[in-house]
Amino acid sequence: MVNELKKYISEIEKNDKKGKKINALLQVAPIENSKKGLLSGKVIAVKANINVAELTASCGSKVLENYKSPYDASVIKKIKEEGGIILGMTNMDEFACGWSGETSAFGATRNPVNLDLVAGGSSSGSCASVAAGFCDMALGSDTGGSIRVPSSHCGVVGVKPTYGSVSRYGLIDMCMSFDQIGPIAKNVSDAVLLLSVISGKDDCDAISQESGKIDLKKIEETPKNLKIGLLDFPISDKRIQNLIDDKIKKASKKYKWKIEKVKIPYLELAIATYFPIVYVEFFSATRRFDGRRYGKKIEDVCGPEVLRRILGGNEITKAEHKGRYYNQALKVRALLQKEFEKVFRKFDCLISPVVPRLPHKIGEKISIQEMFQYDALTCVMNIVGNCAMSLPVGKIQGIPVGMQIACDKWKDELMLRIGRGIEKFK
Amino acid sequence: MSNFLFRKISEKEKKEIQKQAKEIVDNFSKQLEKVKSNFGESFTEIRDGQREEGEIKCSEIDREIFFENAPEKKGDFIVGERKEW
Repeated sequence: MVNELKKYISEIEKNDKKGKKINALLQVAPIENSKKGLLSGKVIAVKANINVAELTASCGSKVLENYKSPYDASVIKKIKEEGGIILGMTNMDEFACGWSGETSAFGATRNPVNLDLVAGGSSSGSCASVAAGFCDMALGSDTGGSIRVPSSHCGVVGVKPTYGSVSRYGLIDMCMSFDQIGPIAKNVSDAVLLLSVISGKDDCDAISQESGKIDLKKIEETPKNLKIGLLDFPISDKRIQNLIDDKIKKASKKYKWKIEKVKIPYLELAIATYFPIVYVEFFSATRRFDGRRYGKKIEDVCGPEVLRRILGGNEITKAEHKGRYYNQALKVRALLQKEFEKVFRKFDCLISPVVPRLPHKIGEKISIQEMFQYDALTCVMNIVGNCAMSLPVGKIQGIPVGMQIACDKWKDELMLRIGRGIEKFK
Repeated sequence: MSNFLFRKISEKEKKEIQKQAKEIVDNFSKQLEKVKSNFGESFTEIRDGQREEGEIKCSEIDREIFFENAPEKKGDFIVGERKEW
């Protein structure tokens, strides 16, 4: 066993189920790898909705708690070919349906920075594993903010690549028209390294396209004279907006970026557009969990949030509504896409907080409307298909706060160079 | 108001969730119907034109594990109840 892996295993034994009881990992089963490549010696944790041959892809659910993956997802195949060491499977909101990491059937993931707080979701275990020092990097999936939200709360770097730039073959889907696999790491350089390995066209995912090779050396070159749009959106916690404003102003001064506030029409409708589409696609995706070919029947054992989405999808697709709800959402989705095209004709990048609030306490009572707010600034990037990332930029009362950096479709490299530039800047 | 921790759902709670799901969907619809739009549905543009249809090689599925996952099986078949599909 390589020394790095030994070190991580010892930390996991100390603090995952014992000690701090972070509960970030559902299965620790390292797949050692002697291949030489870009990821040689790197220890990588995988969200439990991505298939790794012979490991358990439970999706954080009793439905698939004994489901052994019969194959590798394309991203796993690529990681293995480049020498990466798969550590095991991470905890997550049940079927990625959650904002906080609390809906997992195997218990909530604790935030390693403050153990009383949620880690954020749905890639709670992947982000907490990186933050807790259980691995070098991790894979997550992002449908409306599921990589960026927990990355922000745990103080790590999380990337949602452009829709279609990373193959989803082998990802157990939540909403195929929004789902995207992406990297989570301690810093921008490691996130870029993992992204460079997993991105690219894959015939096994019909929507995937060639995204252009990411130049690892170019990431260190911070672009100058950019036009930055600072998103004008009501944030209830002013401390978060002030932190973001302060950081981007300082970086802009250093790199000669021009900042302008930008208000985007229909942005306030992002949540109302996002969820009907998610409910419908999730309802459709879950029809295969009937307990015959594998696992248990989903309606018999799932938790409240999964059932709410199934029943919401069932309602929307009823013949009596004649597609009204779904068509409304698709039309506003098209409007938002047009508005974002306009924004990125004028600006190189769009800056905002990742989450408009700080994480709540585990088990705290919270309304569904408050929960929706966790995704208010992130889900729109999935609606329009652009790339976006969370970069830790400071703390409020000791809790990490992430800055969302979003760029136009297929401008992932530019986004990462901007992120690295801000990261370097003290 | 409730917490979002996983729990087993009672029949009573299932009915409440069904009611809540309908309310959520109706509320979203009310917000969206105010938008007057001439746009059609959205679509994802494929940059490279048409997809080439060739031999697609995906990861091989391990047959043994595939059958191991099935709750009921008989030889090369997965067993399902009659008239319930």
